[in-house]
Amino acid sequence: MLRKPQLSVEHMVEDVSTIHSLPLFYSQLSEAIDHPRSSIGDIAKIIAEDQGLTARILKLANSPLFGYFSKIDTITQAVTIIGVLQVRDLALALSVMDVFKGIPEDLVNMEQFWKHSIATGLASRLLATSQRESNLERFFVAGILHDVGRLVMYVKIPEICLELLEQCRATGSLLHRAEREKLGFDHAEVGSALLKRWKIPPRVAEPVGTHHDSSKGDQYPREGAILHFADLIAHALQIGNSGEVFVPELDHGVWERLQISSFYLPTLVRQVDSTYEQTVSALFGGEDAAR
Amino acid sequence: MVHIDNLTPGMVLSRNVCDRSGRMLLPAGAELTEKHFSIFRMWGVLEVEVAGEAVVEDAEAPAPLSPEIDPELLAEARAEMERLFIYNDPEHPAIKELMRICTERRANRAA
Repeated sequence: MLRKPQLSVEHMVEDVSTIHSLPLFYSQLSEAIDHPRSSIGDIAKIIAEDQGLTARILKLANSPLFGYFSKIDTITQAVTIIGVLQVRDLALALSVMDVFKGIPEDLVNMEQFWKHSIATGLASRLLATSQRESNLERFFVAGILHDVGRLVMYVKIPEICLELLEQCRATGSLLHRAEREKLGFDHAEVGSALLKRWKIPPRVAEPVGTHHDSSKGDQYPREGAILHFADLIAHALQIGNSGEVFVPELDHGVWERLQISSFYLPTLVRQVDSTYEQTVSALFGGEDAAR
Repeated sequence: MVHIDNLTPGMVLSRNVCDRSGRMLLPAGAELTEKHFSIFRMWGVLEVEVAGEAVVEDAEAPAPLSPEIDPELLAEARAEMERLFIYNDPEHPAIKELMRICTERRANRAA
């Protein structure tokens, strides 16, 4: 059964990145943002063309996650108040959630997968807040996308993934280690490669690639450290599931670098719990009004 | 200073509340509501000053333990957490604290 297939990270993403591509609107949005003569109105118009996305962005912007006291009713207001790049990051998170559909249920329950991702995104954003980072949405989006490599693998090599899932459940091993043993790479690297192909900025792509191995990245060590610990929190709280059944091992060096007091952890957990439901309903486009 | 866990709706701020970057979230004189508490949490505000501080001065967060957690539920939750954290060092301060929080949280939810 030990067939050594010719698999590489690049091979995993080469056609997946085109078959499962980001919606056209995302590249239009990026172009408009990068164009020096774009006005806020131009940018808002592009987003507003997608009504579903608009509704979800407004709902997020009005959830306690943002803590704005004024109600944000239009995309123009959102772009003005939250900022262009922040809105783009949110649009990215929401767009990716629609890209991967139709993966067999025996491999992954998509709802559980995104719930784990959302919990990680929230924990990541909250940790970044406590670390006085700026542009918090990139932390949120990195959390939402951190396991997207698994989805690529489920699409590309479903049999091998199923084998790995079953093997880990039987032997009680960590899935990300088993991936590396069998394939020579793990889902974090695959995710990072996909995001680079999609032209997602390295400030998001690199931390996704290093969230299980901090030695691999040196450009964004703070982002990587925050994401690593956020993933651990989401696992510990048992919110959702992306395939891994245990809490991944804490990288003690990463913890040292973060300089977070253990006394902050109860607050962090409470914050994740208290904002989780509203964020899920905003991202999944539930019908209840954003309050 | 009053820890946010000890605030109750209706208290009045005696000083502006700012987030860590110094942006004002709520001015002095504002009356607090539940919604404000979640906003404070979001922005990492741990304590605020309220008028007539006849309240708990201590910024120590009260443990969210309900007084009577069934010891059986607690033991079950602890066993589950030990299984979940098998790849982590239970003596590491962050892991130790996280296991404690998650054990209580799980037992509370099962109750």
